[in-house]
Amino acid sequence: MTRQEAEVILQRTFKLNQFYDEQWTTIEKILKGERVLLIEKTGFGKSLCFQFPAILHKGTTVIFSPLIALMRDQVKKLNSLGISTKCVNSEQTPEENSQIISEAKEGKIKILYIAPERQENSEWIEATRHLNLSMVVVDEAHCISVWGHDFRPAFRRIINLVNLLPIGLPVLATTATATKKVEADIAQQMGSNLTIIRGNLMRDNFKLFVIKVNSEDEKLIWLGQNLEKLPGSGVLYTGTRVDTEIYSKWFEFLKIPSTGYNAGLDPESRIAIENGLINNQWKCVISTNALGMGIDKPDIRFIIHTQIPQSPIHYYQEIGRAGRDNQTSYIILFYNPEDKKLPEAFIEGGRPAISKYEKVITAVKNEMLGERDLMKRTNLKQTQIRVIKADLMEQKIIREVTVGRSKKFEYITGAPQLNTKAFEELRASKTRDLDKMIEYVETNQSRMKYLCDYLGDSSTHSFTNCDNTGLKKITVSVNDEWAQKLQAFREDYFPVIEVETRETSLINGVAASYYGVSNVGGALHRSKYENGGDFPDFLLRLILKAYRKKFGQEKFDLILYVPPTKSGELVKNFAVKVSQVLKFPISHNLVKQRTTSEQKVFENGYLKSDNVKDAFLIRTPDEVRGKSILLIDDIFDSGATIKEIGRYLSNLGAIKIAPLVIARTVGGDLV
Amino acid sequence: MNKESAYWIALAHLPRWGHLKINNLIIKFYHENKLSIEDFFQLSENDWKNQYGIEYKEVEDLKRAKSELANNAFLAESLNNEGYELIPIISPEYSKTLKDNLKAAHAPALLYVKGNKQIMKEKSIAIVGSRNATDKSLEFTDNIAKLASKEYKVVVSGFAKGVDKQALDSAINYKGQSIIVLPQGIMTFGSGFKKYYKQIVDGDVLVLSTFFPKAPWKAELAMARNPIIYGLASEIYVAESSDKGGTWSGVVDGLRKNRKIYVRKPDANENNANNLLIQKGAIAVDFNGNSLLNYKPLLTEVNKLSLNEPTVNYEIKILDLLKTGEYAVKEIIKKLLLTWSEKKLREFLKSKKEVETINKKPLRYTMKDSTIKQRSLFD
Repeated sequence: MTRQEAEVILQRTFKLNQFYDEQWTTIEKILKGERVLLIEKTGFGKSLCFQFPAILHKGTTVIFSPLIALMRDQVKKLNSLGISTKCVNSEQTPEENSQIISEAKEGKIKILYIAPERQENSEWIEATRHLNLSMVVVDEAHCISVWGHDFRPAFRRIINLVNLLPIGLPVLATTATATKKVEADIAQQMGSNLTIIRGNLMRDNFKLFVIKVNSEDEKLIWLGQNLEKLPGSGVLYTGTRVDTEIYSKWFEFLKIPSTGYNAGLDPESRIAIENGLINNQWKCVISTNALGMGIDKPDIRFIIHTQIPQSPIHYYQEIGRAGRDNQTSYIILFYNPEDKKLPEAFIEGGRPAISKYEKVITAVKNEMLGERDLMKRTNLKQTQIRVIKADLMEQKIIREVTVGRSKKFEYITGAPQLNTKAFEELRASKTRDLDKMIEYVETNQSRMKYLCDYLGDSSTHSFTNCDNTGLKKITVSVNDEWAQKLQAFREDYFPVIEVETRETSLINGVAASYYGVSNVGGALHRSKYENGGDFPDFLLRLILKAYRKKFGQEKFDLILYVPPTKSGELVKNFAVKVSQVLKFPISHNLVKQRTTSEQKVFENGYLKSDNVKDAFLIRTPDEVRGKSILLIDDIFDSGATIKEIGRYLSNLGAIKIAPLVIARTVGGDLV
Repeated sequence: MNKESAYWIALAHLPRWGHLKINNLIIKFYHENKLSIEDFFQLSENDWKNQYGIEYKEVEDLKRAKSELANNAFLAESLNNEGYELIPIISPEYSKTLKDNLKAAHAPALLYVKGNKQIMKEKSIAIVGSRNATDKSLEFTDNIAKLASKEYKVVVSGFAKGVDKQALDSAINYKGQSIIVLPQGIMTFGSGFKKYYKQIVDGDVLVLSTFFPKAPWKAELAMARNPIIYGLASEIYVAESSDKGGTWSGVVDGLRKNRKIYVRKPDANENNANNLLIQKGAIAVDFNGNSLLNYKPLLTEVNKLSLNEPTVNYEIKILDLLKTGEYAVKEIIKKLLLTWSEKKLREFLKSKKEVETINKKPLRYTMKDSTIKQRSLFD
């Protein structure tokens, strides 16, 4: 097919006039059954390079994509062009997915978007026996490489698949973010006979700024003063989920329309927020980096980072989501020298200790274990188990197999020794990347040029689009008015204790503070572990304030408190004081009927739950039947204790149980 | 991971080709023409016809197999991910014993394995016998497995009840090594992999199958597996055989292929066909596996069985055939080379309750329930 002929079809089907040269080069190769790695910036039109050949092929084109939001957008768009397109992902019900898979088997689907994790699903694998496959696309191909910013183990299987596909079956891998090193890694993994097409990655519609600050307060204040002055709507990226919450509460306090987003939200909320973002419902969405990849919003007008990313490639990827319409977009990075501690901790401490790896290896050598059993056997956190698991799989020491419907880990016969050198190399590389990111902050050259150089783009373009090349530098000015506003906010903001379930009478409660974010943690620690005596009175004032904020003038029938593991009356004495102020009766009849260990000994929620299961007893059950109860404790971590007591009291007929705690830990466990 | 896995799956399971035809093709493209299997599949239909003399119908088979390569790639990826390995007949990892014993006529083109592949390079013995063997036979099995394990010989067995299971359990018990030859596809053996997890991890057990990975247990597969067990072993020991069934036909087949087969010398009062096998050329052995070259079974003991041996043997063959489909009397006679008259066969078929008569012209016969219930250890 000539380019001319192809463009006739292009106009008819996609309502586009012509291909870019690089698009046509790619498509020509795909039509010949070749393999291509296409590296082009966001907004280039990479999708057309597989969507166009897909409509010419007889069978189905399968696109492995990690981005559910992108799948949704593309499915809508392609169907509106009359191209039968579906997606299979975890947001849809199993029935919907089954239906789509069977349609694909019947050849009714031209383009099928599918999450890489689906390769682990037996129904899908079974379906692939009957699929008339005409092309495979690996979207976000940088996820294949550990040297990239977003390595995903599920892509390992996709690469293996690609290597097994017969000659003549076209394969297209695409990414917008690959350094030369990542490019070489992808190419090496995809095997020979691969053509690499690389475009330029420069974005000259960006206006790049770095704002140097000395405290978290300065960031909050500058944003309070200036956020609404920025054009259009945008995204504010924070380093942690807790920060997401704090920033969105701050904007709420200032009545700036905004909303928080993180990967932990349920699919409905995520979709609602993504749609809201597209429709400019808020000035900004505050998010961890989970948001934005693949969202089809061409006019994100600003992207602000309150936390320095791990590397220039992370940063390029995240700001790449702005200004896809080529209109001016503001790209702002806050930097407080303190901030590098977070990515540093992530790099240094992100790897579990070698002894923990050995623990996992020994356990898996002895028996085939699922994740949950493995956590129980090793007393490791889920987050750590997942890191260890991915590393051990990478080093071919263990593998994940499907037994019936569950996934288990097994030891590979004749596996090599754990190679710790690989971790060190990766760590060294990440440290270098972080240094490069800090260099971006400190550079007095063009920031765009700096990023392009880092990515391996040899641009000779002369830029005038940053605060080093013509734009005015931004500085923060803190005045009394704003300092007071921030103080008022701080004293008015209390973290929610989320424990509500359908099965029990537990409702969401409140904490006076986060454990590590204020002076509360220190005060608790002194009383608990340094013989500091009763919890200080400021904690009482704070918890009462939190109570009023959350529950207003609501009355409870009874106050109970969590009985201690070790002898100690701290919580009891504290609860008595709360009871005296609120004037709700207190009962001392909730006790432990067996010895438990301190919860902090256990690293994961499963063991914490086991530790407190059936451990509690109320000596006078009549006291709680039909009652609303305020349940007091000092620290809320995984919530296993509160949930166990909640379950127990619900069974005894309590009608409402609300936790009130002094501090909630940050992070906790994923369970 | 073998990059050509999808191609090997396609070639190994070409429908109705048989080992010989497949192996001859491999010999031709790989050994004579020095083509990889990938290259071979890239050839044009004309090349297949002209250079390889492949007939029209078979070209169609190959075309179809080629169109399924992408689908096979998904299967191969999934096999690889679960730790199953594919060993094509051209691989140096392919069991030399198996190749030498079965030759091009019977060696499967592709092995699916999981566990320690090195085991295939060791000296090996198979211990075979009935599913409902006597205690005496099981003790013999245990003893032979013990001796084998002491001498670092691998015990090959077929994972059925009775002697097979004993051979495996004993080898494990005496810290020896084993190959389990499956009567089913390797992906359908989940519970077995769980049970023998530790042994597999420690490198003491290799699980092997030659069938399509997802094929469930079937009587035909159990029969087809027997030559693989015999083929993987350098020495074959028979603990106990009746005059029909898998062990019997396996040993008879082995003798026909000139394999040395050792059979436990039965006691005078035993009711089995061990003596009959010895008479047919198998070597009698004592409890410790020592050859008893001078042992000649009494003619009467043999005759008891041998008088009706041909009939019984034919009967089984007929019924086995009917398990695979519907056949008219003439077809049965032709397929099995029977010397029976059509009348005799018709009467025999009528006398069998498990045979179903299908009212077509000519009358056809099949087994009432041609899928026999699985008798694996884990049901």
